[in-house]
Amino acid sequence: LEEVPRGGHDLTKNEFAHPSSEEIQSWMAEAFGMAKDALENGEVPVGCLMVYEKEVLGKGRNEVNETKNATRHAEIVALDEVLEWCRARQQDPKAVCARTVLYVTVEPCIMCAAALRLLNIPLVVYGCRNERFGGCGSVLDVASDDLPHTGTSFQYISGHRADEAVEMLKTFYKQENPNAASQRPGRSGHGRAVPGSSCSCSFLVSSYDPGVSCVYRVCDLTLMADAGV
Amino acid sequence: RTPTLDGPLSESANTRRESGRFRPRRPPPSRRSSSRLPEPAWSARPVLSDAQSADPELLDAFAAPIVDRRETARLVRELAAVRPLPGLRHVKRVRPCGDRGKPHPLEILVCLLSDVPDVEDRGAATLSSLLPCESFDASGLGQPFLAKVPASPPLTRPQYERASAHWPTSFHEDKQVTSALKGQLFTSAQKAKMQEYMAAAVRAAEDGRGRGMDAVGAVMVDPDADRIVATAHDLRHGSHPLHHAVMVCIDLVARGQGGGAYCYERHPACGFAGPGIKGEQRYICTGYDLYVTREPCVMCAMALLHSRIGRVFYGSASADGAFGTKYKIHTHKDLNHRFEVFKGVLQQVCSDLNPETTS
Ligand SMILES: [Zn+2]
Ligand SMILES: [Zn+2]
Repeated sequence: LEEVPRGGHDLTKNEFAHPSSEEIQSWMAEAFGMAKDALENGEVPVGCLMVYEKEVLGKGRNEVNETKNATRHAEIVALDEVLEWCRARQQDPKAVCARTVLYVTVEPCIMCAAALRLLNIPLVVYGCRNERFGGCGSVLDVASDDLPHTGTSFQYISGHRADEAVEMLKTFYKQENPNAASQRPGRSGHGRAVPGSSCSCSFLVSSYDPGVSCVYRVCDLTLMADAGV
Repeated sequence: RTPTLDGPLSESANTRRESGRFRPRRPPPSRRSSSRLPEPAWSARPVLSDAQSADPELLDAFAAPIVDRRETARLVRELAAVRPLPGLRHVKRVRPCGDRGKPHPLEILVCLLSDVPDVEDRGAATLSSLLPCESFDASGLGQPFLAKVPASPPLTRPQYERASAHWPTSFHEDKQVTSALKGQLFTSAQKAKMQEYMAAAVRAAEDGRGRGMDAVGAVMVDPDADRIVATAHDLRHGSHPLHHAVMVCIDLVARGQGGGAYCYERHPACGFAGPGIKGEQRYICTGYDLYVTREPCVMCAMALLHSRIGRVFYGSASADGAFGTKYKIHTHKDLNHRFEVFKGVLQQVCSDLNPETTS
């Protein structure tokens, strides 16, 4: 467990009140609850919520498959809800985002990290690392890099209940094998990757091409375009 | 549920989606200065990986003149045995002496500086300090001197030329990369097509600017069918702070495939062409080419990677750009999709759109 914030500039600069460790524990517990619900519903077990002054403004789940848009990651969906909330209440999105924390069970990817910068989100708390696409330290550190024209840098706290987050992903991939999927056609899962179709782990793999294994390499399966299931 | 800033996509949104369908318009040329005036010369240059574009890393070494030319073959053979150069197979052992005034026409690489850690005074090193005198016959060799050799094989012709200036180096040329670097990869017919597509992106940027948006435009092209599948301009100051032209374009491609997350009906210059050849099953942006007036930011670059883009062509660089300026997302060794990126298409026209480049 790594509770020391990394990256970003001094948060005192923008008068953002850092959440206490009790608050972090409890919001992450809620994010893990979302991930667990997703797992029980056969969806990618990732929980993601945006919290502004003790209020949840946005929750997200991966919507890549239904929108056929590979950028519809849970974080982007949750940010949309925050912006919608601001619009409905005629609040300045910039001011709201500058005091909004993202709690997410998996490290945001490079694209989402850049989106969080562009909206001036000050802090991200995440569970396990995203070795394939992570933008908060794993593949790149978009959160802290010097990008003066790409919003503001942000801090992140990594490793919160990381083992649990990985464990849920493992469980998901284990249950979603090609044979099981063919017996449970209602499930959207790894094994349902058919030629030219998506796979529900696309949040992690973000790919529909054959032969790509899942992001955490927790799953022995590869996306088999010719699996015939 | 598919959230959108214009309200959730509902039945009525589906009809709106139809109305958002892009119809190729042919506006009077008078407004379209960018496509009418003769374009300044441009060339599309590849944005190569750091490994392909970096200056060659050099290693310190000792070389010596071959004072008796008849010893050359023996010296090469025996030096290879006592001072092998593993990992430097690209480096030639012997070179012709560059200086015609010198009496000895050949010079030979003796060893790397790292092979002889005990040598303290580099300038005054002797053959006996560099070579095991009991097992090596140094006859035919002159006084050693310091030289530099390239640490790794050159990947491109410019790297080859820079490396060879230090010590002769072998080079397995990738002809395609060489002609791309010279701006000769594309035929004039292909360049005309590229110009046509970039001009469409420029028109979208101008349309956006006319509506108070940042002047950035993008078109997604199906290169096999030779058609534009989606056209977009920047909307970050319009509908959504994350609606950079590339993000809009990607979502419009999704709409053309029966998906999509947002509605752009208030922005008529943003649209999609609908399905192409019957039965054709395209998948996100697989195999498509994107033309965008300005180098994408890191969010947009990664969005293109997630969308499995085929190739990217951009006009002018941007300060935080992620296809060459700040990052090279398309060549990153840890990312699972690599693709070609070219910059400089209609460069002047594109950079005139954004006098001060940001993201
Ligand atoms: Zn993401
Ligand atoms: Zn962008």
